[in-house]
Amino acid sequence: MLVYREKDNLIYKLHPVTVMSYIAVVLLLSLIFSHPVYLLVLFFAVGAVIIASGNADKWKYYLLMASGIVVMIILVNSVFVQNGSTVLFYGPAIPVMGKIKVTLEAVCFSAAMGIRLVVIISVFCLYTYAVHPDKVLKLFSRFGKKAVLVVTLATRLFPLMVQDVRRVTEVQRCRGVKLDTGSLRQRLKNRLPVVKVVLLSSLERSMQIAESMHARGYGSGPRSFYSRDLWRPRDFFVLGALVVSVMTGLAAVFHDWAVFTYYPRLENMNFKELNAALIEMLALSLPAFLNWGWKRWQLLKLKI
Amino acid sequence: MKNIYWTLILAVTGLLLVLSVLPVGVNWALFSAVIIGLAVLTFFWRFEKKGAASKEIALIATMASFAAVSRIPFAAVMSIQPTTFIVMITGYVFGVQEGFMVGAAAALVSNFFLGQGPWTPWQMFSWGLCGASAALLGSKLKGFKLLPFTVLAFCWGYLFGWIMNLWHWVGFVYPLTLKTFTAAYMASFPFDTLHALGNIIFSFLLGKSFYQVLKRFKNKMFVSYLDQNQL
Repeated sequence: MLVYREKDNLIYKLHPVTVMSYIAVVLLLSLIFSHPVYLLVLFFAVGAVIIASGNADKWKYYLLMASGIVVMIILVNSVFVQNGSTVLFYGPAIPVMGKIKVTLEAVCFSAAMGIRLVVIISVFCLYTYAVHPDKVLKLFSRFGKKAVLVVTLATRLFPLMVQDVRRVTEVQRCRGVKLDTGSLRQRLKNRLPVVKVVLLSSLERSMQIAESMHARGYGSGPRSFYSRDLWRPRDFFVLGALVVSVMTGLAAVFHDWAVFTYYPRLENMNFKELNAALIEMLALSLPAFLNWGWKRWQLLKLKI
Repeated sequence: MKNIYWTLILAVTGLLLVLSVLPVGVNWALFSAVIIGLAVLTFFWRFEKKGAASKEIALIATMASFAAVSRIPFAAVMSIQPTTFIVMITGYVFGVQEGFMVGAAAALVSNFFLGQGPWTPWQMFSWGLCGASAALLGSKLKGFKLLPFTVLAFCWGYLFGWIMNLWHWVGFVYPLTLKTFTAAYMASFPFDTLHALGNIIFSFLLGKSFYQVLKRFKNKMFVSYLDQNQL
């Protein structure tokens, strides 16, 4: 059920805190940057890490899905946003909106927003495929004992209930209930008993879970917890790079390097402002570099 | 400790709102995500503060998972799904905190399998509020009243979409004007209508029976032992 698959490379061997920090930093930077070059840098860095983690084939589908939304964003922005001084062409007159003008500024802005969306979707692709949900939940179990237990239990119950649904559906089919033929109303009506049966059996099971928890002494005293994940040098390298990239990113935003003015007229691209982007690129693709060395250099693999 | 936490949450939210009025480069996508995250955390915090009850935890996990799974059998029939309805009926029977937790956990868990995204906190918040509001309705009424419940479910079809529109609007649209706002909300209208209609259908078809099942279960869950002298 879970799409996560353990793979043999450095990205999977990082501490969950490190990977989560990486994802958080890229998310934060993608939201505070508006300069197209800086956004592209984020895209390439995340892309390098995803490829290093061996999930390029999955990433393709995410990019495909994202490109559809990006096209929609560009269309909506360039049609509805009438700001901007460089008019590319005038569209037809629409009753309520009046005459539509498509401006260069609106197209550029929406393209940059498109890159931002692609970065965000890619970083969530990395999260979905490279981080085990249980490891993340364990991190938080120190702070939220009950809430995390609820989510962990529900995550475990999900595949179980999917099996239940399949089983009950099959039984209904064997009994001659028509689930796939007939009118829409008929099909809906025939599927309702499946939900009811699954609800009843799940509630019974929840009672058993509660009794089992009770028997094991849940809530009888202060709760103990342990962590099996090790901190290794590689985590400190990556965390150090993250600190550098956050510092550079904030500096770039405060100096207006990573901020781009789209309206009313596109700002001139100043190449001096792009130095910080290079640092960002190097710092954020460090996991990919480390993985490359990890694969080819036995000594490095031993040391980190 | 509790007061410090409340003050902190209010202070951060207030600070962000004050910052947003000032003419500096405001990042609405970031601000709104922080505010929504704090709102969800507050509910979680309240839930943590209540004593540990194994039955309650097992029930919330089960209902959250059930709400997430219920997307599957109907996906083949049409695009409507009973998740909102299940979260609401759970809140209606069990109470505000349970309702919110079931909604939030259902969103989080189903996204573990369907894919996490920036929409996750927003979904957690919206579905959580579905459950919490149904619980408020349930505390006012005695027994299961189909009409008020269905009206609320219908409203949530639209409200859910409207809350979810916000993240899309603040994140990827510029300028944030009334015009683009209306455009974004017009675009989602058909989907919201479908959601609202689905909620009505499920409330009519499953409302009464689910209420009875959950009510019976609630009675079974909370067993209290009386002292012998009281008998």
